[in-house]
Order: sequence, then C-alpha cells, then structure tokens
Amino acid sequence: MRMAIQGIGITGGFGSGVETLRTALQTGVVTTREIDGFPAYHANIDGLDEFVPKRSLRRIDHLSKMTLLSACQALQDADSLDGDRSRMGVVIATGYGTLQTSFKFLDSYLDYGYACSSPTHFSNSVHNAAAAHVSMQMQATAPSLTVSQFEMSVPSALLSAQQWLAEGRVDQVLFGAVDEFCEVLRYCRENFFGAAEQGPLQPFAFSEQSAVAGEGAVFFVLTRADEDATYGCIDKIMLGNHLACSVKLPQDDLLIIGADGHKECGSLYEQLLNDREVAAYAPLYGSFPAAVGFDLAAAAVSLRDRTIYASPESAGAADTAVLSPRKLDRQGLACLKFGGGGDYGLIRLSR
Amino acid sequence: MSVKEKLKRVLIEDLNLEDVEPEEITDDMALFGEGLGLDSLDAVELVIIVQKHFGVEIKDMVESRPIFESINTLAAYIEANLS
Amino acid sequence: MICPKPTAITGLGCISGAGLDLAESLENMFSGKRNPQPPTKFTTDHAVASLVLELRDEFKLPLDAQETVYARTCQLALAAAFQALTDAGWDSENLCGKRVGVCIGTTVGCALNCDDFYRAYKGDDIPDIGIMERFLRSNPAAVVARQLKLDGPVQTVVNACSSGTDAIGIGAAWLRAGACDIVIAGGADELLRLTYSGFSSLMITAPEPCKPFDLHRKGLNLGEGAGIVILENESLAGTKQKKGYLRGYGSACDAYHLTAPHPEGKGLKQAIAEALSVAKLRADQIAFVNAHGTGTPDNDKVESRVLDAVFPGIPFASTKGYTGHTLGAAGGIEAVFTIACLNRGEIPASIGFSTPDPELPATPVKVNTPINGSAALSESLAFGGNNAVVIFAKGDT
Repeated sequence: MRMAIQGIGITGGFGSGVETLRTALQTGVVTTREIDGFPAYHANIDGLDEFVPKRSLRRIDHLSKMTLLSACQALQDADSLDGDRSRMGVVIATGYGTLQTSFKFLDSYLDYGYACSSPTHFSNSVHNAAAAHVSMQMQATAPSLTVSQFEMSVPSALLSAQQWLAEGRVDQVLFGAVDEFCEVLRYCRENFFGAAEQGPLQPFAFSEQSAVAGEGAVFFVLTRADEDATYGCIDKIMLGNHLACSVKLPQDDLLIIGADGHKECGSLYEQLLNDREVAAYAPLYGSFPAAVGFDLAAAAVSLRDRTIYASPESAGAADTAVLSPRKLDRQGLACLKFGGGGDYGLIRLSR
Repeated sequence: MSVKEKLKRVLIEDLNLEDVEPEEITDDMALFGEGLGLDSLDAVELVIIVQKHFGVEIKDMVESRPIFESINTLAAYIEANLS
Repeated sequence: MICPKPTAITGLGCISGAGLDLAESLENMFSGKRNPQPPTKFTTDHAVASLVLELRDEFKLPLDAQETVYARTCQLALAAAFQALTDAGWDSENLCGKRVGVCIGTTVGCALNCDDFYRAYKGDDIPDIGIMERFLRSNPAAVVARQLKLDGPVQTVVNACSSGTDAIGIGAAWLRAGACDIVIAGGADELLRLTYSGFSSLMITAPEPCKPFDLHRKGLNLGEGAGIVILENESLAGTKQKKGYLRGYGSACDAYHLTAPHPEGKGLKQAIAEALSVAKLRADQIAFVNAHGTGTPDNDKVESRVLDAVFPGIPFASTKGYTGHTLGAAGGIEAVFTIACLNRGEIPASIGFSTPDPELPATPVKVNTPINGSAALSESLAFGGNNAVVIFAKGDT
C-alpha cells in the first residue's frame, strides 16, 4: 500500500523547515559548528514557542524539543495544525534515543548519591518520552510507537506506519526520526575515528573514514495514497541482511544512498553501484542514525520539485553520481541505507 | 537566606520554572493544581530537591500530602526536620 | 478496520524470576512461590532497599560470549527465543532460506548502561571505551536476527512497559503484510542499577513483596527476563501443533501525562475495544484477563476501574507478584503465561492480594482458579501513556 507524503517538518545542521532544506539541496552549502576543533551539524529549536507555549516546555529536553518543532512544522506544512487527531498515529524512529537527558540522570546520582536520582530526568530518558510529548501536545490518542535500532530505526518504523494505514488502524501517521548530539558521543567518536571526525564528510570516498556527527529531527504527515500526495508516495519498504541474502535493488530507480563517511559500510555501497545513477546528501546534515529520514525528506522534495539535486560533495564519486541538478520525470527514487553487520533498509518512492 | 527564600529559588531552578520570579510565589500559594501548577512528577522531584538542598527526607508520598500544600507547609516541615 | 484471521503461535519461551522456563514458571506460580529480595547484582546507597526478582544463579547465558560482549538483555532475548524456536520445531539450520522477522520490545535493552564509563569520563580516569562498543553491538532484535543469521524485518520496540505486547501485535502485522513467514516476537529486559534508581526516585517501588490490587500495596518490585512467541503463517505451520492463536491486538495513547495513567483509563479502554473488535469477540467471551497489575497505587486503581467497567465478573490476575515488573519483557512473558493458562484451563492466584481496597471496584482472584472459555486477554500500560492489549485463543489439543 502506497503512503502519500502530505507535509514535512525538519530541523538539522542546515537550519529549520522544508524550505531551508530545499535551499541546502540547491546550494549544497552548509556550515558546521566547531567545538574544541571538532565540527558537528547542530540543530536549533528556534520557533518552537510559536507552536508550543514556553511554560509547557519546562520539562522537555533538547531531543523532544527538536521532535516537537519538526512535528508541528510537518502538520503546518500539511495544513493540518488544527483538527481532530484521534485517528492520527505517532511513530518515531531514533537511533540512540535520549542521550543528554540520560547523562543528566546519571549526573543526578553520581554527583549526589542514588537517593537523589532525578525522577524527571529518568522519566524523560525513557525512549518513548518524545512520542509521549507529541501525543500530549497534539492530543493524539491513536496508537503510538517508538523504535530504536541504530541505523535501521527509520526503515523498520516506517514499515509499521505503512501497516497501520493499510489496516485502517489510523487515517494519518505523524512519522518522525530524531537523534541528538552530545559531548559523550563526540568523545566516543573521536576515540573510534580520531582525526577523521574532523571531516569534511565525503560519502563517495568509500574506503575512507570521513563521517562528521550530526543531529536533528524530521517529521512527515503520511496518509493512504487514495488522497493526492503533496510530495510523492512511499511505495515499498524492505528490510533484510545483505550478507544473509543480497539486497535486490529496483532496476530503474535513482538511488539516494545513506553513505555518510563510515568506512565500515562504504564497501557495501560501492559493490552495488555498478553504473547506477546515485546521489548522496549526508554532507548537508551529517552522520547520525535518524539521517535516513533526512534522505527520505530529500527524496520527497526532489519528487515534488521534479528535480534531482546535486550531491554536495563529489570526492571519489563515480561518473554515474548526480553532481549537477537535473529533471526528474517518471523515474522513481530509492533510499538505501546499510547498518552494522550488513543490515539494510530500502525505501522506494515515486510521484 | 531563610528556608522559604531558598526553597523558592531552588524550586524555580530545579523545576525549570523559567518565567517565574521568587517574589511571584507567595508563601500560601497552592503549589499543585491551581496556583503554581505543579503535578505528580514535580511532587517526586520536590522530594529530591528537599533531600539535595536541605538534607531532609520525605519518606511516604501519601502521608506527606499535607506537607506539599504551599511554601509555608513545606518550609515548616523542613525547619522541623533540619538535623 | 481490517479483522484478520487469527495468527498461529507455534512456540513459547520465557525466563524470569518465576522460573528459567515456562514449565518451572507455571509450577512456581501455581504453588504460590515467589522470592523477591534486595538486589544482589548491584548496590546503591538508598536507605531502604526495594525488592527485586532476579533470575536464579543457575541461568546460563546462551552464547559463549559473556555479558562484556553482548548486554544481558540481548542474552535473555536469545535464551527465550531459543526455547520458543525449539518448542516450535525450528533451529538455525531449518530456518535458513526462510523469511524470518524479529520484533522485540525492550526498555533497558536500549538504555545507555554506562555508569562506570561515565563516572570515569567525568573524573580523572580513562573511561573503558569497550562499554560503549558493547552498547553499539547490543540492540536486542538485531542481535537475535544476527545470531540466527536471519533475513527479514527486524524491529526493537521501545514503548516502555507495553513494548513486549506491542512487539507481538506488530510482528503479526508483518505476517499479514507478507513481509515474512515467521516472526520471533516478544520482549526482554535486564535489571540495572540505573533503572532501579530511576523507579525508586519515582517512589513507586516497594521494600516488601509487591501486592497488586491490595489495599496495602506500596509499589512494584522490578524484575528481569524475556518472553517470546513464535508466530507463523498457517501455510508454513501446516499440521504442526499450535500452542495458541493471536486473535486481536489493540493499542492507544492516553495523551495525558508522562508517568501517570489517565485516571479513567481512556487509552486502555480504547486499546481493549480495538483488540475485541479485531478479534470479533464480545467482552463476555473473554475467559480471563492477565492484568498489568504492577502494585502501584495509580496503576492498580485505574486498571481495576477499567476491568470492572469492561469485564465485570471476569476473573483476572496479575502475575507480577511472581515475576516482578520486567518492563519491556512483561508483555512477552505475560503473553506466554496467558496462552499457557488458557490451555491449562486455570489461572494462578494473583499473589500479594488479600485485602480489597474500597476504591478499587474489581478484585483479582485470591486462589488458583479454573477458567472456562477459549479466549483470554493480556494488557500492558506504560509510561508515556501507551496501552497495549493482545487477545489469544486456545491452542490445538
């Protein structure tokens, strides 16, 4: 069953809102913020208090704020900020879940003793807290699902969203992907990858390590495709393990690969390219598990604009990489992401 | 600083009541529901706040309900139990 | 809304403080045995310890790799999965070439269990990066899929305490959608000092054996474990003996509060209504309910009200007195118990209950109780206002 994309909200290293994403796709230019010599793509939450009163945000952490901002933007983009949400499911994919709040909870007892553990930080560190805040703010009482499995979180959660719509459990799904950056994450990445963490992010340099950490949130308003789609439709979602059974790539779709500078997965992408047309947009938003949702947003904007945008960073790119924008006619798109151990998610889209 | 003044400040800081000034919290204002508008999650956080900043323990939430009515009642409890 | 055919369940596996497998768990429950104790695997500086239900020391990790390689939650998930697969007649050889999905619910399994790492990071010591490497290797559903070399959809559900129930409902949907032919579905969670401290901070843990639905209930006892069911396409299952059938699944969100349930149980009622509708059953056709019944003042009050309103006179019990609250594993473990009790024709006493609370209109069974009927319901309520319900039918005799 095809899912129509009716609205998009997004905040990431390039800025906030689907128009800003479009500008980033068009120009290919994004600035990272540097801390201690290491760059990262930081997202902001400017404009959240236009949607949610400041007082309601007092116990809500950065991850949930990015979530709320993008969710509200998506509803606004779909022209459905008002209205009954009893038939709107909420599905959120997060690779790591809460990081900053998890560490704040640890701070509360490591600094003051276990008897001073903070119940507020603990409650907010549970991975479905962001979904809970969305449900509470939107009064969405339909099914709610949070999925967390690193790079495969988005395709896996999307499969459930599709099934809820297909089976008539809900009429809309507010589908989101979110991950945050934190100092401990930076410490670990520096430990694993050393100076390679300093970028620049080069998705096509498959045998190099060039990932740069990012964060952000993206939301989509999804409906069954019996309504006209504002952006385009998600046709199929496939998950599997490439080492157990090779992924079967669709013949004619243009591939948007989730290559984000991680050497470990690089060779898997490289093996499959074989004269295929391919684009990669990670240099616009950085490397983080929820970025699969950002690739999906780039695909959706491309379908709407009937334009496939240039990959912003060309180092190591094959001749078949899209390095300048061109018209996208009847061709479909497919977002391919590899995770650890050969796990893959393939999301096919078309108009 | 009196217990009441300190209590107001740590409440604002630890419960992240950004838009509230200490002077706005009157001593007899209801902390929960109408008034300051705290809820059950704030109540258990308050237990930690009192432990952390005053070293005073609150053991049973149900029996301790009256303590949480206002700054007056909470400060009185803290003062009575300061070691 | 689609009302699908029941989904065949061909295997059951469970591990908890009630027992290291289903047979032992049933024996202990029906003998009224439980042994909550202060935690032995970690210490804290709480003045009064809350009781927990740890696995017996005899529990053997299913992989040669110790907990330094894969987090304990993954090991628990695997152990229960192996039990369930064996029960269903599957092993990694005959699964080869099949499309097999893995859907596991967890809470702790995705938490950053890194006290020692972070303590060193904050201080002057060098943190052991191996702890983070272990975290990145230890996604429960991914570990199960990888260890069994499976190809198919994989999902780790993190819906707090309803995760295990949700995972079973989601797994069944995969079969209907043709995404795979077999699903290993359920939940797993280990006991951690981090979660113990968190629940203690919320003041909902008990320093004594928990008393679900009792007037004197003081809170929950945390537990650990895993519960897994094997869901199969009927065409694949063929004439294999079915342990039970999944007839319906429903879920809904209270949209009320981060930790407290909706006082009228709005989300729970909605989830129950959806499950009954999908199962094409009336409430009075439910033989019994396996309640969430954590033993906290709030949960039990709301749940009792809902049970009285929706299932008046229908026997119910909480098995959390035997297992403790196993968080993400609860839905999986309780699914296994519900199916087993349905087939047995009997539910165990709701241990810990003796004195009714006048504010709770419905009370659980005090003794082991025979049940008649071929369908039963298991419900889970969670932080964030998630409510999930599954309805099972008896297996083939």
